[in-house]
Amino acid sequence: MNNKAQLHTLEGLGAAVLMTLTILTISQSTMIVTPQNELAVDVHLEQMSNDALTVMDIAPHSSAQYNLTECIAGWDMTEATYPSSPTSDLDELDEGLSYLLPNILYNVDLAYFENDNLNVKKVIIKGSPADNAVVVRHFVTLTNETVSDMGGAWNLAEDELKVVEVRLTAWKV
Amino acid sequence: MESLKENNKGQWIALSGLVISLIIIGLAALANQAVLAGYHSSNAALEFPKENIRELNSHTRDNAKIIKDLSIELNATSNETISSIYGRLFENYSSQMKKLYATHGETVDLSLVSINSTNGTNGTYSGHDIDMILVNITYDDGTTLYVSDPELIEVKE
Repeated sequence: MNNKAQLHTLEGLGAAVLMTLTILTISQSTMIVTPQNELAVDVHLEQMSNDALTVMDIAPHSSAQYNLTECIAGWDMTEATYPSSPTSDLDELDEGLSYLLPNILYNVDLAYFENDNLNVKKVIIKGSPADNAVVVRHFVTLTNETVSDMGGAWNLAEDELKVVEVRLTAWKV
Repeated sequence: MESLKENNKGQWIALSGLVISLIIIGLAALANQAVLAGYHSSNAALEFPKENIRELNSHTRDNAKIIKDLSIELNATSNETISSIYGRLFENYSSQMKKLYATHGETVDLSLVSINSTNGTNGTYSGHDIDMILVNITYDDGTTLYVSDPELIEVKE
């Protein structure tokens, strides 16, 4: 019977146990966070969403027919309904956002004050936000002139400014 | 078992096993630190209100120009001075921004300091003389305080 190298066999077994225990200790002692973790995805999503709204607002007419302010100024004040009319009459805005946010779902709300009352209107609905949704906001200012030019239904006086908060809720599916 | 005790060969193999084990422990600890650093940097990026401050600043800059144009336009059809119209419109803008930020638990304060013109004085401006608007901007979300006192806004086209 060959009884040589018995110590080598035991050593191999010992090393395997040691390695297993090491990995177990490290992985159980702290939370393992990979580069694809939820927070990193949120940061990326938030950055992309902010950029999308900013780009929409400063887009020259050669690259987009209407910028964000013009799109909002042209709103007919009817809220979106899901699924029959998910974009109300803001198709231009939806088209721009869907191009800038590929593979991302989003809802858009408009928030503004009317006689000291906060109004929040849903204007684009693409579904129910997932748990990892982020919310970004961008402000636009409407005047009687911009609303008249775009044929919107905002009822503004000649000397009135209306600050509208565009809230974009974005999530990945 | 007696033969095992007497067999003292393979010491290098035993030692290399120990070294490899130590290397694996070191690498595992390093990898763990690296991913933890990623977690904390992502968290910091999400918590700092960079975009909110940037948005407040850039929107106020844009509005300084919008209000200037509107003031000149309104002045043409009223007896009110451009300075007075500008002050009224800016106050209205500031009030709306204050309320909209308050809905997110943030405090902002936008106050007009002065309207500067190269030609007009004492609130009498003509045409497009206004070239610089000074505004105080304050943002506070309870953790981060941002103050620009004053913010110089170039409005001359």
